[in-house]
Order: sequence, then C-alpha cells, then structure tokens
Amino acid sequence: MNEKVVAMLLAGGQGSRLKSLTYDIAKPAIPYGGKYRIIDFPLSNCTNSGITTVGVLTQYQPHALHRYIGLGTPWDLDRHKGGVTMLPPYAEIDGIKWYAGTASAIYQNINFLTSCEPDYVLILSGDHIYKMDYEKLIEYHKEKQADVTISVLEVPWEDASRFGLVDTDDDMNVIEFSEKPENPKSNLASMGVYVFDWKKLESYLEDDNNIEESTHDFGKDILPKMLSDHKKMVAYPFKGYWKDVGTVDSLWEANMDLLNPSAGLVLHDPAWRIYSSNPQLPPQVITDSGRVQGSMVNEGCVISGTVRHSVIFQNVLIEKDAVVEDSVVMSGTKIGRGAHLSRVIVPPDVTVPENYRLLEPAKGITLLTQDLIDSWKESGQQ
Amino acid sequence: MTLMAAVDASVKVAGLQDLTIHRSVSSIPFAGRYRLIDFALSNLVNADINSVGIFASQPFGSLIDHIGVGKSWDLDRRKEGLFFLPTTHQNGGIATVGSFRDFEEHLQFFEKSRQTHVVVTSSFVAGQLDYKEMLAHHLASGKDITEAVGASGSLKSYILSRRLMLELIRSYREKRILSIEDLVNLKKAPYSYGVYEYKGYFAIIDSIQQYFKESLGLLDENNRRLLFLPQAPIYTKVKDEPPTRYLDGSNVSNSMMANGSTILGNVKNSIISRAVTIGINASLDSCIIMQKCTIEENCELAYVIADKDVYIEKGVKLIGTPERPIVLRKGERVTKEDSQ
Repeated sequence: MNEKVVAMLLAGGQGSRLKSLTYDIAKPAIPYGGKYRIIDFPLSNCTNSGITTVGVLTQYQPHALHRYIGLGTPWDLDRHKGGVTMLPPYAEIDGIKWYAGTASAIYQNINFLTSCEPDYVLILSGDHIYKMDYEKLIEYHKEKQADVTISVLEVPWEDASRFGLVDTDDDMNVIEFSEKPENPKSNLASMGVYVFDWKKLESYLEDDNNIEESTHDFGKDILPKMLSDHKKMVAYPFKGYWKDVGTVDSLWEANMDLLNPSAGLVLHDPAWRIYSSNPQLPPQVITDSGRVQGSMVNEGCVISGTVRHSVIFQNVLIEKDAVVEDSVVMSGTKIGRGAHLSRVIVPPDVTVPENYRLLEPAKGITLLTQDLIDSWKESGQQ
Repeated sequence: MTLMAAVDASVKVAGLQDLTIHRSVSSIPFAGRYRLIDFALSNLVNADINSVGIFASQPFGSLIDHIGVGKSWDLDRRKEGLFFLPTTHQNGGIATVGSFRDFEEHLQFFEKSRQTHVVVTSSFVAGQLDYKEMLAHHLASGKDITEAVGASGSLKSYILSRRLMLELIRSYREKRILSIEDLVNLKKAPYSYGVYEYKGYFAIIDSIQQYFKESLGLLDENNRRLLFLPQAPIYTKVKDEPPTRYLDGSNVSNSMMANGSTILGNVKNSIISRAVTIGINASLDSCIIMQKCTIEENCELAYVIADKDVYIEKGVKLIGTPERPIVLRKGERVTKEDSQ
C-alpha cells in the first residue's frame, strides 16, 4: 500500500454480561483460545495486513491492556515510525473528556490522527474474534472510490436484529443503515470495521461534536448522517469466521469452535499467525494417567486426569481422576483429584477442590468462580 | 563483586555428529521447545549477569537465528548485553571448554568490561546453576579458579577474576594450556583450584546416548521439578505457536509436548517438539521428535530421534533400542521402502 493507513482500535468496552471475567479487565483483554486475549486477533490482523500504525483507545479498566500491549513487541508494532500508541481519555484545559461513544473516542484523538497524516483511517473493534486481511478491504475501498466502506457479514435472519444492519443495492452501495432494528430488512450485519477517507471523517467528526443531541456513535450518528448527505458508502462482504463474544455462553461457544474444524477458525496457520504475549513456560506434560481427547492444551500444563473436548490455558494442573469435559479452563487453575467439571468456564487462578461437583448444573454455561466454589465448601458437600 | 560471562559455543563434541551437521552443539533442540544454549543463558540472566559473550564457530547460522539480539533473555541492552563473538576456527573448535585462542581473538570483550569476575561456561549442559551462590562460594574460598561439580561430574562452568582471565589469555601459549577446562584438569601451578558443589539436576549432552537418555529423563517428574523452577525460568526464542491439538482418537501418555502440534495418533514415553503432526494410528514409544516433523498414519516408531523437518511416510516401521536409538537427520524423508 502506498497510501498511509492508520488503524484505530476501540478497546474501551466493559462487556458487563461477561460477569466477573470483566470486573477488573476490559473485554478485549479477556483470555481466549488457550493462550490469547481477544485483542490479539485485530492486532495480529493489522500485523498480517501490513498496517504498522495502530492507535488503541482504552477507557474501562485499561491497566491490564496497557501492560499487556506494552510497546507492541509481540505484534511487531514496536516501530521507529508508527507502531502502537495507547490512547486513553485525557484531560485538557476545559476538563477531562471521557469517550462518550465510538465516534467521540476518535474525535478526541484528532490530534493523534492529524500527526499521523493518514490517507485512510481503519476503525476496528477490540473485542471481535476473526481473521481478516484489511489490505483487501482497503483495496476494495479504493476501487469503489468510496467515502466510507463498511465490512459486513451475512448473519442468520433470526439473529439479524442484534446487529447494525446495512441494506445495499446490487453494486454493494449502502442504501440504508439501521442499528439493531426490530424488523430487519437485511441480514448483512456491520462488523464494526470501517474504512474512511481521513479528510471526510475528520469533517464529520467535527460536525458531530457540535450536535448536542448526538450520541457520538458511528452506527447511530456518523454513518446515518453520511448516508443522508449522499456520501458514497459501500459494503465489503467479508466471508469467514467472525464472533462477537458478549456473554459467558458465547465466549464458551467461541472456544468450542476451535475444537470443531468445520466452524472455520483455524489457529494452526503459519501464513496468518495470531500473535500474543508468550510467557516462558516448559512444554505441557500428559502423565501416565492423563487422557486428552478432542482438546487444545497450552504450555506449562500437567494433565494427570481426563480432558475431553475442552480448551486448557497455560499452567493448568489437572490431577488424577479429575474429569474436565466441554469446558474452558483459564491459566493457573488447579483442578483437584476426583473433581468433575462439565460445561464450565473456569477463570484464571482458581483452585477447584477434590471431588468438586457443580451444585446445580445450569442450563447454560457456568462461570466457575472462586465464590461459587467457596459456597460449595460451606454447604459441606465434600 | 560483579560477573560477566563467556559462553563457549564453539567446543567440539564428537559424539553428536548426526545432530550437528547444520548447527553447533549449543543449538541442538532439547526438552521439546528449547535449544541447549537456553539453559546456560537463562542461568546467567537469572543471576543478573547482563554482559554475556557467546564464542561461536561455524556452523553458527542456526545459533544466530535462535539468539538474535538476545531479546528473549532480556540481553538486548544499551549497555553491555549480548555479544556474539565468532571465532576463526574451521570445523568447530577444540574439545575442551573455554579456549584461550577463542578468547584471545576477542580480548577486548574482557579488557573493556567493568565487571570484576568472569563465568566461563559450556553450552551443552542443562541445569539450574546459581551463579550468585557460586560467586559467593568462590570469594569465600579465596581460590583462584572455582569449578562447579555435581554428583555425576563437572558442569564445565568456572568462575575466576577478570584480572586472572586477562593474565591467562596473555600467557596461555608459553604455559602450554589450551583452555580453562584444561587448566583446571591439569591443576597447573601457581594457581589454586576450588570446587563449588552443585546439588541440583543437570544433564550433560555429549553423545547421542546421553542426549536420548537425558531427554527421556525429563519425563521423570522429579527431574522436571528441578529443571523448571518457577523462580528461575528457562527462556527461549518465542515462536507464537497455538496450543497443541489432541484430536478425537488420539492417545497420549507419559509425554512432554510443546505447542503447535496436531496429534491424531498414539504417543507414549516421548518428547514431542513444536509444530509436529502425528497421523491417525501412528504409534510412538520412547521417541524424540523435533520441530516441524510429520509422521503419517500407521507408522510405528520406537527409540527414534527425528531431527527437525523429518517426514515419515505412512506405514513406516522403525524400531531402535534404548542403547542405540535410530537417528533421522534434519530434513530426511523416510518411505516404507526405506524402512524395510
């Protein structure tokens, strides 16, 4: 690419439906896939797409993210020119300005963008799991001579009303944009991935900032306004795996998708690696009594029990006669002898006692917190 | 009192030829995801030694690729850090550790240093040597040179003052000594020699038999516990491999598995390195499989060491013995016809 692209990665989300998993970290920092955090996906997509200037906008519980991303070394973003820049809200003469919406987050970093002198700005979300070549998207944007390009994905009609939907003509020109409509007219969902011509975006952000009743959101304010001004807005049809993990159940599903080759997300792909911060741990060990089937296991684990159809993060200890099935076990957790876990997500650093059983197996997926375990202990079940 | 270190990665080890055609002993893969030199380097940095010279002779391409600027060991420093110091030897160096000729070629490394003492260490020993403790012992003993010795012999690691090191480099020809190891073994006058007793785990990799035995020895939990200490990690070059996949129908027991592999077959008593594929119904017992190997379906392997990038076609049967494991060289392709 000769033109300069700057990616702005929105990573301030709380993800409150993920319960205690996001009490002290932002949603993009949630562990996923045995060794990753969700934000590794858009960051690695940038690296693999040749985008070397990335701003990461943080707000909710930013410390884990700032620390995790650091200088951007795991993603090759520690560069002399460009690289990664963390962009939390900041104070200026007229006070502290929190990010009120997705568009205001970008607006408040206009100085950063201006200093980068981009031709195009790529807006990304830090909490989606997918592999995408952004270079192709930007080529498409140029080819179509669009002012803004929205990456879209076909979703099942019954789920369509959960998304921002775009309706297009045969040339993929967007004719309508509706945010979570009750009666969807289209099943093309916006992935929250947009390419803007920087100069156009800049003027729309300036205007939007002066509109008092605006919610300063791309989906609700900026895009509808551009459409009503007859700016050229096109949809880019993305094909492939894409997941927005908003709930404990969908986080579990996204992990299980890794165990199902037909789900379409392959991590064992040397041509499109997902980069991550790698802790220095010894290889995993499956002991004499260990049995592992249909699962993924990361470094530093010692498995002496039975693991079926599960995703096991680094440094997990599963003792003899323990059974883990259809579950996600996050790093540093220890599962005692004879414990039986099924359809759970175990957060990091939990100790599951010997012979533990779920008190009331829930219909959905249980987030097996230390609190839940402590109440089991108090109930004297063991 | 502060330490600098000279790591001898040029020493010639005759018994490992099949694994050293394309690399030096120091970069032989070990324990699934490491190279032998990782242990020496990690021991050094865990003792806060930030000035490390690696003395290397050809072929060192693989070693340079592994070490880079030393980032994985936190040795990419403004001041001091990692020094890659190639020597002009052809076909490897001498057979003992700490060649003065090598050191002489890079005399400045020792002259310019601000440290008071020097660690000289080999690059084919895996252990958890605590150099802070060894230095304290050395200073208390008042000896000129201290050697680390464990239950089964020397770890080939030495501490001496930088001043003595410079004196030895300038006078080794007239003294007719080749290396630090030589000097210590011959106990040449007028120097005094001390021993630091090392009590932990260590493995000396100086023959294929030792390599095989010590590799599989890591399946013993006690050995692992002594080698992989949470407070003293072994650092290595990061590869960004995803977690290892165990597919339905696979059966793995008593094995050490690095990341990035895909296992469909049966594995027991083995060490499997990164990004290895083991096909359906393949059976491995007591094997060491290095990175990026492919073992196709219905293979039967026992007592086999497969170097990097080995490809074993379906139905191949290779059975070695514990004393004489079969060694497949880097990049070798084995067909069913070959193995009959």
